[in-house]
Amino acid sequence: MAVHFIDPDKTSSIVDVLNSDPEFKIAARYMTKDVCIEVGKTKCIIKFRDGVITQIKSENAFADPWNFAIRGSLDAWEKFLQPIPPRFYDGIFGGMIRGNFVLEGDTVSAFSHFWAVTRMLDIFRELQNK
Amino acid sequence: MAKFDPIEGRFVYLTIQGVKYRVYYEESGQGIPIICQHSAGSQGLEWRHMLTDPEIISKYHVIVADLPYHGRSLPPESVQWWKEEYKLTKSFFIDFQIELSRALGLVKPVYIGTAAGGFLALNLALEHPSEFRAVIGVEAAKHAGTATLDTFDHPYIGNDYKRANAMYFSAPANPEKYRRAITWVSMLAAPPVTKGDMNYYFIEHDLTEKTQQIDTSRCVVYLLTGEYDPTSTVEDTMELAKEVKGSKFTEMKGMSHAGMAENPVLFKKYLMPILNEIASK
Repeated sequence: MAVHFIDPDKTSSIVDVLNSDPEFKIAARYMTKDVCIEVGKTKCIIKFRDGVITQIKSENAFADPWNFAIRGSLDAWEKFLQPIPPRFYDGIFGGMIRGNFVLEGDTVSAFSHFWAVTRMLDIFRELQNK
Repeated sequence: MAKFDPIEGRFVYLTIQGVKYRVYYEESGQGIPIICQHSAGSQGLEWRHMLTDPEIISKYHVIVADLPYHGRSLPPESVQWWKEEYKLTKSFFIDFQIELSRALGLVKPVYIGTAAGGFLALNLALEHPSEFRAVIGVEAAKHAGTATLDTFDHPYIGNDYKRANAMYFSAPANPEKYRRAITWVSMLAAPPVTKGDMNYYFIEHDLTEKTQQIDTSRCVVYLLTGEYDPTSTVEDTMELAKEVKGSKFTEMKGMSHAGMAENPVLFKKYLMPILNEIASK
C-alpha cells in the first residue's frame, strides 16, 4: 500500500484539505512547530505556522530539523491508515503504549498540540481511503 | 409537553476517613441496587445511558455518584485541599463505596466500575466480599503498566490533550456522537484530578499475589474487557480471570476503554446476561 501523505504528488492537495477542515482549524490554533513523521525509512516534515500547515516535505527532508517526531514502521502506518484499524493501531497514544509507534523530541509540545496532531492523522486516514 | 429523563439527582453527606464530603449522586429505577463507578478523570455522566435504559431500571436500582473532586462533588470544605497535591488512594476509593452504600441503605448491592473503577471491583471483592452480592470489573487487570502522569497536569499542556487522548480510548467503529461525548466529559475533569486518579490506577492498584485470595463464592466476580483497550488489554484481563478462580470473563468485541459510554447498545448486550444471572440467584 502506498502511503499517500508521504507521496510528493499528493502532499499539496493534502495540505489544502487539512487547512480547510473545520475541526483541524480549531485544533491547530497557535501551533508553530515542525513535526517529523517517519514511515519506515521515509522521513516527512510537516511545518505548522500559526495554526496553518505551510508544507508537508517528504523529499530531501533528511537534514530538516523538527520539534517532535512520531515514528512507526511501514506496516504500522498501513494498519493505522485502514478505514477501521486493528486494535493498538487505531490511535497514536495507544499505539505508543503498545510499542507500535514511538514519540521523540519535545514531548511537551507534542502533547500540548496533540489534538491537532491526531486530527491531522485522522484526515490522513480519511484521504487514504477516499 | 416537556420530556424528562427518569433520573433523580441529589447530594448526600459522607464522612470518609474523618472528612465530611458533600457527594452528588444520581439514581433511577427500582430493584436490585447497582452502584456504578466512573473511571479516572471522569464523572458519573459516563453511566447516563444505564440510568435511563427502561429495561435495566425496571429491574434494577441504578446509583451513580461523582467521586469527591469530580463532577458536582466539590472538594471538602473542612480541608485546605489546595495545599496538597490531589491523589486518589486505594483506601479512600474503597471506603467511599462502603460509605455510599451504607448511607443510601443499600442491601448487598452489585458494584460495577470501569477502568480505575474496574480495578476497584477486584479490591472490593478481596477486602469487602460480604458487602456486595457481585462485582463487575470493566477493563480490569492485576495492575496497569507504567505511565508518565505529568502530561495530565502540566502548565504547558491544556485540555486539548485530554480530548485527543480520550477519543482513542474508544473503539474506532463506535458511533462518533458517543466518542465525542467521551472527549467532552474528559475535559470536564480538573487537570489535577485526572493526574491524581492515576495514582490509584497506575501506582497503588496491584493485585500481584493477591488474586487467589479473592473468594468468588462470597462475592461473584464478572470481568468485561474491550478488544481495543490499550491499557487493560484482553490478555491482561484473561490473566486476571485465570488467577481469580470462579470469575467469569467476557471479551467485548469492538469496544475499548469505556464501553458503557462509547456504545451503550453494544455494552448492554454484554451486560444483560450478567445482570440476569445475578438476578436469578
